[in-house]
Amino acid sequence: MAVSFLKSYARVAQVPVFVAIGPFMRDAVEDLFRDQQLVRANSIRHASILLVAGSLRDSDGEDIRRLHDQMPHPRATIWWNADPDDGLADPLIVDGKTDPKPIMIATFQDLIDARRPSEADLLPDEPPNPWQGEGDYGQGGKGMMGGNPYGRPMAMTDDDLRDGLALDAYTAPFGPFLPMMPPGLQVSLTLQGDVIQSAKVIRSPFAQIDNAAPNVGELRQLARFLRVLGLEPLADRCMDIAHDACMGKPTDAAPLRKLLRWSGARFAVPLGLGKLVDTDVRSRFETWLDAIDSVAHLEKAPPRAPSKAATHRLVDLLKGLEWNEAVLVINSFDSKALIAISPVEDDDGGAHEGDSHTSHSANSEHAHSMHGDGASSG
Amino acid sequence: MTGLAGALVIAFVSAAIAAAVWSARSQFDSAATEPQKTPFLGGGAPDTHAWQRYHIRYYPMTLLFIAFEMEMMFMYPWAVVFVEEGGKAMMEMGMFLAILSVGILYGWREGIFRWQ
Repeated sequence: MAVSFLKSYARVAQVPVFVAIGPFMRDAVEDLFRDQQLVRANSIRHASILLVAGSLRDSDGEDIRRLHDQMPHPRATIWWNADPDDGLADPLIVDGKTDPKPIMIATFQDLIDARRPSEADLLPDEPPNPWQGEGDYGQGGKGMMGGNPYGRPMAMTDDDLRDGLALDAYTAPFGPFLPMMPPGLQVSLTLQGDVIQSAKVIRSPFAQIDNAAPNVGELRQLARFLRVLGLEPLADRCMDIAHDACMGKPTDAAPLRKLLRWSGARFAVPLGLGKLVDTDVRSRFETWLDAIDSVAHLEKAPPRAPSKAATHRLVDLLKGLEWNEAVLVINSFDSKALIAISPVEDDDGGAHEGDSHTSHSANSEHAHSMHGDGASSG
Repeated sequence: MTGLAGALVIAFVSAAIAAAVWSARSQFDSAATEPQKTPFLGGGAPDTHAWQRYHIRYYPMTLLFIAFEMEMMFMYPWAVVFVEEGGKAMMEMGMFLAILSVGILYGWREGIFRWQ
């Protein structure tokens, strides 16, 4: 009885969704989550629905399968304007012109009521390496105690940038669908504690659509940055103003400007962080703040100086930063600037273009048409 | 008596809720699979185990805090005993402070008092 009672509450709860955003789909997904019935999960472990939005690279397939399997039961995946994984028996496919929100809500309720079975794992249930070490009895090998506990070798000591105390360095790929990083960007970071010793771009971020309305792109970027700073309500208000501007509605942005000034967000960003040419994270943030006043009156954006960022590399900016600073730096660039400074590097240090995106032009058209129709608005 | 009855009612209701939740076995009660044991990195999988040694950089400050805090914790009761015992208590406190000051001297050498 108690479980039925709890189930009735679960049925009307917000739908926890984790999103894997593909090329040209970021704005559409953000507009989707203006609806209060959906809540965007910051970790796949808090989600019941995995929304794959847009066609992804072939190399992202393994990451999507891993995310799928990390999602707790009962679970379902919705493929919005995306090609489903072959391993799924009954994939939920939504075309680019259809609003996926009602489908997500209905699917969540079906999962709670057990009308829809939870999806099975896509990856094999086996460790990446055998557990035992080099010795006859599973002992020995490198690392603290040898062997591969849980299938992974122990971390080994490495140099430290700060004081030279060599302790274990942790190397892991972050992304391509980490919520606090732009979609598509995958960076291999070597960490000593929370300090980045070295960084390497594995996959470049996805290209996103250019907003036709003036300053809307800056405002959306400001909202993303505020979310990273933990100022969620202010970020939501920024998104609302950006959405109104897209629809051609003038808005009174003075209250938001005042709230942002009093929030102290500006002082949460260290001075001189992520310095590139003559701007740093704080000055880039202030540029977006100025965009609020312009967008409210639908003014034309002032012409911007050509970016010199392309001569710099993101990995050089990240070296020596702590994790929270690195996240601020990554989020202080718009999509185009970030792609310009994040070329994929070979093992020998040479840079080349990222993986080719599947059907880019088709996606771009889809995204534009969705914005025009307002199909994804909340 | 009323208080005891209230406590028993609360205990009974708590036990009933706990028993109801405990008995409702989920169909998904199974051991975590290998992908679920992997830390969430937004899709990627780490090459090495996350169990590692790293530098707790606030440790000298912790050392200093404990040194002074333990000193004060002992000094308050000691002040009462000192009135009765006199010189013997003074010697004991001296020994105690000498041991603690080794930690403080070590912190000094580590640059704990240097403003950065």
